[in-house]
Amino acid sequence: MAHEHKPQPPLWAQRLLHFRLSEGLSEEIQGDLDELFDLWVEEMGIQKARWKYIGQVLGFLRPLPERKEQYVQIRNGKLPPAQIDVSSNSLQTFKVMLQNYIKIAWRNLLRNRTSSAVNIIGLAVGMATCLLLVLFVLSELSYDRYHTNSKQMYRMTMHGQMGGKEINTAFVSALAGIVLAKEYSGVEAVTRLRTEGSFIIKSGNESFKEEHVAFVDSNFFQFFTIPLVKGNIRTALTEPNALVISETIAHKYFGNEDPIGKSLTLGRMGLFKISGVCKDVPTNTHFHYDFFGSFLSINPGNKWLNSGAYTYLKIEEGYPIDKLRTQSAKMVEKYIGPEIKEFVGIDLKEFIKTGNRIGFNFQPVTDIHLHSDLEGELEANGNISYVYIFSVIAGFILLLASINFMNLSTAGSSARAREVGVRKVLGSVQRQLIGQFLTESVLLVFLSLGVALGLVLLLLPGFNQLSGKQFGILTLASGWMLPGIILSALCLGLIAGSYPALFLSSFAPIQVLKGKLQTGLKTGGLRNVLVTIQFVVSVCMIIGTIVVYQQLHFIQSKKIGFDKEQVLVINDTYVLKSGINSFKNEIEKLASVERVSLAGYLPAGSSSWGVEGIKIENHASQSEVFRSKAYWIDEDYLPTLGIQLAQGRNFSKDFPSDSAGALINETAAHIYGLKNPIGTRISTVGDRSNTYTIVGVVKDFHFESMHQQITPMVIFYGGDNGQIAIRLKTSNIPDLLSQIEERWKKYSDNPFSYSFLDDRFNAIYSSEQRIGKLFGIFAGLAIFIACLGLYGLAWFVAEQRTKEIGIRKVLGATVSSIVVLLSRDFIKLVIIAMLIATPIAWYGMHQWLQDFAYHIDLQWWIFVVAGLLAISIALFTVSFQSIKAALTNPVKSLRND
Amino acid sequence: MNRDYLGEFEELILLTVAFMDGAAYGAAIHQDIRQRTGRSVQLSAVHIALYRLEEKKLVTSEIGGATAQRGGRRKRFFTITHEGRHILSEIRQVREQLWQLIPKMI
Repeated sequence: MAHEHKPQPPLWAQRLLHFRLSEGLSEEIQGDLDELFDLWVEEMGIQKARWKYIGQVLGFLRPLPERKEQYVQIRNGKLPPAQIDVSSNSLQTFKVMLQNYIKIAWRNLLRNRTSSAVNIIGLAVGMATCLLLVLFVLSELSYDRYHTNSKQMYRMTMHGQMGGKEINTAFVSALAGIVLAKEYSGVEAVTRLRTEGSFIIKSGNESFKEEHVAFVDSNFFQFFTIPLVKGNIRTALTEPNALVISETIAHKYFGNEDPIGKSLTLGRMGLFKISGVCKDVPTNTHFHYDFFGSFLSINPGNKWLNSGAYTYLKIEEGYPIDKLRTQSAKMVEKYIGPEIKEFVGIDLKEFIKTGNRIGFNFQPVTDIHLHSDLEGELEANGNISYVYIFSVIAGFILLLASINFMNLSTAGSSARAREVGVRKVLGSVQRQLIGQFLTESVLLVFLSLGVALGLVLLLLPGFNQLSGKQFGILTLASGWMLPGIILSALCLGLIAGSYPALFLSSFAPIQVLKGKLQTGLKTGGLRNVLVTIQFVVSVCMIIGTIVVYQQLHFIQSKKIGFDKEQVLVINDTYVLKSGINSFKNEIEKLASVERVSLAGYLPAGSSSWGVEGIKIENHASQSEVFRSKAYWIDEDYLPTLGIQLAQGRNFSKDFPSDSAGALINETAAHIYGLKNPIGTRISTVGDRSNTYTIVGVVKDFHFESMHQQITPMVIFYGGDNGQIAIRLKTSNIPDLLSQIEERWKKYSDNPFSYSFLDDRFNAIYSSEQRIGKLFGIFAGLAIFIACLGLYGLAWFVAEQRTKEIGIRKVLGATVSSIVVLLSRDFIKLVIIAMLIATPIAWYGMHQWLQDFAYHIDLQWWIFVVAGLLAISIALFTVSFQSIKAALTNPVKSLRND
Repeated sequence: MNRDYLGEFEELILLTVAFMDGAAYGAAIHQDIRQRTGRSVQLSAVHIALYRLEEKKLVTSEIGGATAQRGGRRKRFFTITHEGRHILSEIRQVREQLWQLIPKMI
């Protein structure tokens, strides 16, 4: 018999019936109805049978007599009455009780509007914050986990030490990938990626500047799970000058046309033919490129020491990565050893003996976003410590809100004590009362959750801006998010409600009804502890905020060794080609321009610089290679940027020999061990080895963020057409910009783009600024929630002591003495909280500051200010209530007795 | 025998239970009443009547074994009790007497 073809009554009607009927009845009645349904189907066809079934189900919605097997049996004399189990009869009772609980809870909520509002607002704010932070943390943790076999994917990195400088790069030699794929057995696939900076991309007459251009091996899209919308995923990038673009870019350049087979000009690299369109790279990936050229289009270098590519590998399932780590040492021996001999002139053993190291490592791709901070990361990565910090903050804020909840519930218990007493006298057992109070707290939590979700939707755009993420409403509703939220809310309601429930339900009815209960004193201890915890958290956050802002101010105003104000930078001037010099001359003639320099390298922002190994000639450390930053400037560079010379002179056109001259910074002079650097000859190592004479020493300036120490640097003479830096002497910037743009257009039809040096410099610290802002916001929230709680408590205390205050006033107490009386207890708590918070905050912020090579010292006044702030806020909150209570006419409060 | 008053529908059900002799359960009774009287009644009415009768101790019930026919759900079989039979025959006697009092018009 084919069961699947058997007609079924409507599912919803079946469910309705099941829901309606109690346990004892459900089986027989459903059985009867099913049997009849089958008969009807044969008689009148399935449609009519269904209607009839629904009609019959509706018939059961009328009141049914309680048909209890046991009652019948008792009446029939089969069971003695003592064996009646009341609780097993509970389904129906439970529903009624629940209705009653909710009704009572609702009435209570409306009766105590102030405390309910305080409770709901506090909880809602806490939950909303927590939700936003959870969204952030989950998104940070989800990076690169969507690739198939993401657990088997690793990135090869290079670590070592050369000339006293640590090398930790995210990229390795471009040749390493080939060797890995060929010679290592556990490696399943290897793919490489290389960037060549930004490009001006032309399509017909249009051209745009594009930052997100990469060159990748042909198996790239299979390796990372990024599907191609058009084109063949296997063959799209097998040819030189083939290009895959993202959907967004396809739309930008070609609208709705099919881009396959069309061509784009990639700046200096020439014409590329589009062979595929890929989905946009998901946000939670450690790279975001829009253009993927084939790896064959570029020349990554053919030596191990001067070629580079980001190299990813997928190992076979279960293959131990440590085995690969050990084996990779052979790679150094076999391939890098000979090159060291060739370039440096010593063999590998000697190289290592002089304190140098070189080796490879493999990091899981899923760890890149949060755990990797190497030289040359593809993007600014996240930081696992911020994930921790935010998780902790989320937990704390929720904790604060829950504490409020418990505090207010127990504080309000005196008002409920009588209700509990009456209920107990009428026969409630403690279990039922617990149930009642838990229902109340769950109801309150769910009301807050509603408000919180509203808040989240309201705040999402702002939060997205702050966190640099793109969350939508859908993020909240996707996957396990919503069930998770509801379940956590339920748990929160049960946990936060458990203390008040247990506490309230334990009242002894006689005492309560006699009015002997002194709830204020009895629960004072716990409540005080809770308030103290709230303020410990708040004070810590205030201190954190102050320190972060101090440090930000410090690094932004610290002497950086050059003048970053009033410097305009014109980007991508290489497109001017040979016209660049006459362009420069024209700009120099403008009245509001002081000086112009062709500058490849500028502090902060995208710049071109290289790393060279520097050897000092005729020096004790002759075989030592110092790894130094190196770049090229013209004679106007130092004056334009306002960089000072410590010794010697700037490059000059008057000295033809300067083309073989070099400038170094003070740090370099110190590390190279040169007492009189002027005139010393240095040479670069590598296949384009050259010798230079030092002509001057520049004072140290910060060319990287304050996280890093100043490193040795060598500057060569020759100019670099990458960018132009212009020192201005005008306040009419828009006017000047239009003048420059006008001249730019004479030389190039490429887009004119510019930036200001101080903006670029500030942008380095965007991450710190973000943290500062977030800290500020969360500190504000923590204080807000804590104060809400304090406000509620003060309100209750004032209420409880109304009569006391009345009597005191009648006996002659002044308003101020009563305010002091009411506020004193709370202020004591805040002071204790301060004492606890100070060492915790000191330790935490001390750790954070260690991240900066240049940082402020933690000063005592920060802690004092934070403490005073907390006290004054608390005092303000409490005094609002105490003053109100103190001003009440005693006649009113005493009249009733 | 004034203790229990039986409604017309209850009487009908009780009679059906009686003649079915131990094989009476909700669906069967519902079906039988429809066929016999042409009345389309609510199944809920049948069940409510049965439970009332049980409360009045005119029928007893027993859960039967599982059957494959109705999704494995068990049936509740009703049997008429001694009191049930008694009340039926009492009703019948009253009716008989009344019939005999009617002049032979019909």
